[in-house]
Amino acid sequence: MRIPLRRLGVYFAAFLFAIVVNFTLPRLMPGSPVDSMIAQLGPRATPAAIEAIKARFGAVQEPVWLQFVDYIKGLATFDLGVSVKYYPQTVTQVLARSAGWTALLVTCAILFSLCIGVSLGAVAAWRRGGRFDAFVSPFSVVLIAIPPVIIALATLFTFGVTLRWFPVGYAYNPDLDPGFNFTFLGSVFWHAIMPVLTLSPYMIGEFQTTMRSSMISVLGEDYVTMGRAKGLSETAVMFSYAARNAMLPVLTNLALMLGAVFGGSIVTEIVFNYPGLGLTLFTASVARDYPVIQGQLLLMTLATLGANLLVDIVYGVVDPRIGEQRA
Amino acid sequence: MRFGLHLLLRQKKAVAGLAIVVALCLMAILAPVLAPSDPGARVGRSHQPPTAEHYFGTTKMGRDVYAQFVWGARPSLAVGFATGLAITALGTVIGLISGYFGGRVDATLDLATNAVLVIPNIPLLILLASFAGTVGPLAIMTIIALTSWPWGARMTRAQTLALRNREFVTAARMVGEPSWRIIFVEILPNLVPLIGINVVGSIIYAIVAQTTLEYLGFGDPLNVTWGTMLYNAQNSSAIIVGAWWDIGAPALGIALVGLGLALLNFTFDEIANPQLRSGPALSRWMWLTRLRRRELEAAR
Repeated sequence: MRIPLRRLGVYFAAFLFAIVVNFTLPRLMPGSPVDSMIAQLGPRATPAAIEAIKARFGAVQEPVWLQFVDYIKGLATFDLGVSVKYYPQTVTQVLARSAGWTALLVTCAILFSLCIGVSLGAVAAWRRGGRFDAFVSPFSVVLIAIPPVIIALATLFTFGVTLRWFPVGYAYNPDLDPGFNFTFLGSVFWHAIMPVLTLSPYMIGEFQTTMRSSMISVLGEDYVTMGRAKGLSETAVMFSYAARNAMLPVLTNLALMLGAVFGGSIVTEIVFNYPGLGLTLFTASVARDYPVIQGQLLLMTLATLGANLLVDIVYGVVDPRIGEQRA
Repeated sequence: MRFGLHLLLRQKKAVAGLAIVVALCLMAILAPVLAPSDPGARVGRSHQPPTAEHYFGTTKMGRDVYAQFVWGARPSLAVGFATGLAITALGTVIGLISGYFGGRVDATLDLATNAVLVIPNIPLLILLASFAGTVGPLAIMTIIALTSWPWGARMTRAQTLALRNREFVTAARMVGEPSWRIIFVEILPNLVPLIGINVVGSIIYAIVAQTTLEYLGFGDPLNVTWGTMLYNAQNSSAIIVGAWWDIGAPALGIALVGLGLALLNFTFDEIANPQLRSGPALSRWMWLTRLRRRELEAAR
């Protein structure tokens, strides 16, 4: 299994782009953000903190390229600067605190919607033109078109406030001590249900649509006819012959969707007051805590690139032809 | 490929989608007639439920939700549609140039397209918006358009690559037509169905992104849009106090635009790609085969 060099080039370019945006934006901005950040710090503005912020945002007498070199050096050692809102905590500390919760939400939502979306897509393609298809397929397209904010607010209102089935905020019951025991994990699970269900509809729609169209083209293949001719049961042909191969475009789509999923998780966490990256980003953007906002973009870009790389690797394993062709 | 209005009108889903979108646009245009009162005026007490006087109730500040809903449709739809068109224009031009010229131009543009595609959009949007401070409709439009053209560019590039070596393009080149003419007069018309899908998809995306940005508080709070209505309702904890109308009205508006556009896009997809079709024609065919199979079985 080999990952084509061109893909790696794309990932490198994307990462470089994110870094350059982070580096140039504050320097291009009229009215330096440095002053507003120092004002934010208030009494905590020690000379060291002021110095750190100035260096990072270009309010120093140094040629730009030297600043850029310093910036890259800092990134290489995971130095993303200090948070303005949570000073003296560093951006890395602030992000590390919340990244786990977002990873939990996004992973659960992806696995959940993958199961539902792919099965719906496979069945819709299998009974193409039937009543099931005629309802589920347009519905999936509609799911993609509804902003996650709306779904989050509707879920919160229905299941959180009116029916009171699920807790309306935070990641676990604050009365419990975090630990690896059943009560605590149960509380985490219970608190994650609404956010995960909110993140899922968009993905279910995307997966269903992709799966359906890819399954339709796979169903025309000879080996599917062969499977039927062998007298295999409908479900055997559908899942072990057709669906397995039809899954590949779904994987590609999953990698491309991740950015949108992160966007959805930001909104979802804000609505449900869930202590993940999105909520951190929101409080940071309200407080104009630029270092945290920038660190966030880098982290999310890295996560997306990592996931894309993972999908490339999985793709090579699932479909050996790919590696041969592209290499 | 023929892509006339009659093809659309034969599809029930498309007609429903078109009706929803047109109705909402009409509401936006006729706002002064439908809701003559000023959407910013205080007309009643805080958070009153819907009554005959205030159809959609009032906000925390005692403003009429119905008037805000009707007037808010204007900037929301205008920004959504304009941004969608801008995204499509940018993506189509970049895709066409990349696909037609090939070589180093293509390599560079394709690299840029794929790179911007994998950068998570919303965090990037939030970064841009937070450096820009509170942003007006035009700034929102620019930010969204600049970060979300790659989808369209990718599709257009693939299609252009397929068309580039067809006879009519070669013929045009032989005759000595300039490149811009070949691209825009010979190739572009063949991409119309694709551009249609791209426009509707981009508008959907633009509305989602705009709502998200405004909900996060990056919009101009004095400008009444569906997104800022959501932001204000959220800030006055409308959900917790049970003022569902305050959040429900803008949410309904946004969801309806999404629904209408999605139904349209579904039909566009089916027309451009007959393989995916599930409409009336296909079910009639299924019905006929089922009938024939039953007859065959009966004969046996």
